[in-house]
Amino acid sequence: MSWWLLLFARRGPARYLSHLDTSRVVQRTFARAGVPIALTQGMRPKPRLSLPLPLPVGAEGGNELAVVEVTEAAAATVATLRDLCAAAPPGFEPLRIVDAGERRPRPQAREATYGCVLDGDAGRILAAVERYNETREAVRERVSPKGTRTLDLKEYVGRVTATAEDGGARLEFTIRHRSDGAARPQELIDLVAEWAQVEAVMRGLVRLRIAWKDVPPDVIAGGGRS
Amino acid sequence: MGGEFNARVKPGATPRIVLSYPDVYEIGVSNPALQILYARLNDTTPAWAERAYCPWPDLADRMRDSVVRLWTLESFAPVRACDLWGFTLPHELCYTNVLEMLDLAGVPLRAVERAGEDPVVLGGGPAVANPWPLAPFFDAFFVGEAEEHLDAVVDALGRDGRAARLRALAAVPGVWVPGRSDRPAVRQVFTGFSTSDPVLQPIVPVLEAVHDRAVVEVMRGCTAGCRFCQAGMWYRPVRERPVERVVAAAGRLLHETGCDEVSLLSLSSCDYGGVAEAVARIRELRPGLRVSLPSLRIDSAAEKLGLFAAGQRGSLTLAPEAGTQDLRDAINKGIDEAQFDEAVRAALAGGFTGLKLYFMIGLPGETDDDVRGIARMADHATRIAREVGRGRARVTVSVSSYVPKPHTPFELEQFAGEQTLRRRQRLLREATPRGVRVAFHDVGVSLVEATLARGGPGSDRLVEEAWRRGARFDGWSEHFDVRRWQAAAAATGMALGEAGGEPPAWRDAVDARLDARFLADERDRGRAGRLTEDCRDGACGACGVCAGEVGMDLLA
Repeated sequence: MSWWLLLFARRGPARYLSHLDTSRVVQRTFARAGVPIALTQGMRPKPRLSLPLPLPVGAEGGNELAVVEVTEAAAATVATLRDLCAAAPPGFEPLRIVDAGERRPRPQAREATYGCVLDGDAGRILAAVERYNETREAVRERVSPKGTRTLDLKEYVGRVTATAEDGGARLEFTIRHRSDGAARPQELIDLVAEWAQVEAVMRGLVRLRIAWKDVPPDVIAGGGRS
Repeated sequence: MGGEFNARVKPGATPRIVLSYPDVYEIGVSNPALQILYARLNDTTPAWAERAYCPWPDLADRMRDSVVRLWTLESFAPVRACDLWGFTLPHELCYTNVLEMLDLAGVPLRAVERAGEDPVVLGGGPAVANPWPLAPFFDAFFVGEAEEHLDAVVDALGRDGRAARLRALAAVPGVWVPGRSDRPAVRQVFTGFSTSDPVLQPIVPVLEAVHDRAVVEVMRGCTAGCRFCQAGMWYRPVRERPVERVVAAAGRLLHETGCDEVSLLSLSSCDYGGVAEAVARIRELRPGLRVSLPSLRIDSAAEKLGLFAAGQRGSLTLAPEAGTQDLRDAINKGIDEAQFDEAVRAALAGGFTGLKLYFMIGLPGETDDDVRGIARMADHATRIAREVGRGRARVTVSVSSYVPKPHTPFELEQFAGEQTLRRRQRLLREATPRGVRVAFHDVGVSLVEATLARGGPGSDRLVEEAWRRGARFDGWSEHFDVRRWQAAAAATGMALGEAGGEPPAWRDAVDARLDARFLADERDRGRAGRLTEDCRDGACGACGVCAGEVGMDLLA
């Protein structure tokens, strides 16, 4: 038994996968490649795998991370990565695997950078982004089945960049992950859209970069295939 | 949805075909018929077969609000732009979903309204046994097993214009074109079944689907001869795949699907001649591998269940169908109480912790005592569960209402009707011992099924009216509302539950290869409580199916 870190991309048709479905795809890809993932003990065994930073449905990501425990003496080699790539469905691309040994790695995201296009009048969107960058406080309410929570987006999202693009503006922003959680990309987009008085229609959300704590640098380095 | 393992993407390939199962993706994606057609069309013909399923009502509402047309899962192109749209029609309760999908795709509901670039809409599957309730909505129907005729269908789509395509399609064996065909279509039988592989690269969904296992179709057809069973008549004759081919397919499928369970699919897998060897050899492929048999008959299960049940967990369904020996003999389900006892003991001793007993009420000739017999059998099984299952095993009883189906010996029998069914449900509820859970099929659903199963020309008006009144997903209890159908029946001058009569209209459209005398004789034998033996190892029942190249293909 050993723990592996898998760096992967989720693009194209795979961007519509939910968090649970992405987990299932990781498990199925390993099984198809002949590298079964270990299961928990008990009446209803579950795969021993985790995706430390869920990617929103509809978003693409080029540097996503999965942590899996493999059952057999498989080696995290280029050949195994090739098998995983061949076994993966369209849009799900294994990029790198690293054997992390017998101790379970617990990577934590420090921050993640996103890009997207917000449809609407570019001038108004750019002005709303400028207003956001200059304001000291941007308090929003988050309503969930558990109740209502207020959060100040400025504590989580620093400077936002915006450039005009056909039909709207391209935004890029970095969300900090704190001990009390993180803001969601949609929350920032909702705020900017509200201030710009445009409909909050976001296109092409991409998670561009993730900064991790406790992840060996060779997993992330380059972000290309090993 | 889409982007699954083994999904085929063939940009630029023509003709473009869309295959649909008229229910949500999670139900339809595992359908074996669709998997077969999808694999064969994409892998052996120049066509690109894509898929589309019926959106859940909340998505359908949003699509209508946003004027987004139904799209395919492979290319995300509008379904309307394809050359042929094929529906597999599993049962009557999906009919309104067909209309829903046509409407969401922007394809005119009725064939006569289609023109120019509209796709040819083709129906297939077991519900085509009586195509009349859907006839005006389809350009053509394929009757039977299509494997050997896909090339001809694809060739027909190469003609210029709808009229030429339909003319060419009408010439394909098994195709019935409403209003154009002057004789019934003969049900097609795949004679190459035994010498062909099952689907080796099935679509593996990335969402959670209802069935998540590698499926090997080991046998097609069933000759047990249950007189109520349409599948048993429709899929004749029995054809079996060699064990070697089955085991090899299982090995390949484990790799292709990443599953840890293999299901040996057929109408009655315990009857498959190589079942013991196949199960043993498949289990050797990988430690801890589960092998499941989805459909078991009690008479064959009793002797073999011990073999499969060893170490099993979970629940098992056994289907005695009727509560007394007389009625079981009448429906040709000739199992006796000793076989039932043996099967229950074998299942529970083997480790199954749940036992579901499946029965029908409303069978022809049924009496109140037959209904009480169901309770007696449930009681008996519960006692065995206490004794053998050491108190861990639970017995549940599932009771559906019998609906007479075309091309069966009971095709002309009367439907029991709403009042009788409700009274017998009450009777059974009162007679069932405490501790046994009984689940009843909704009588309203059976009324609709009974109306459509034998509906003749004109019954399409009921389907359309019900759909216009909001009926869809009628197979889902949370969506089915009998009041919509009652209102539709009133508006169209039809009565729910009343259909059929002689001569049966379905024979004008479909020749199921069954001899009418055989069906009539079987009906008479049923009334006399006489059994007809399985022609697999007994005398030929002269059903009429085996003729020319079509015949049983059994393992030596």
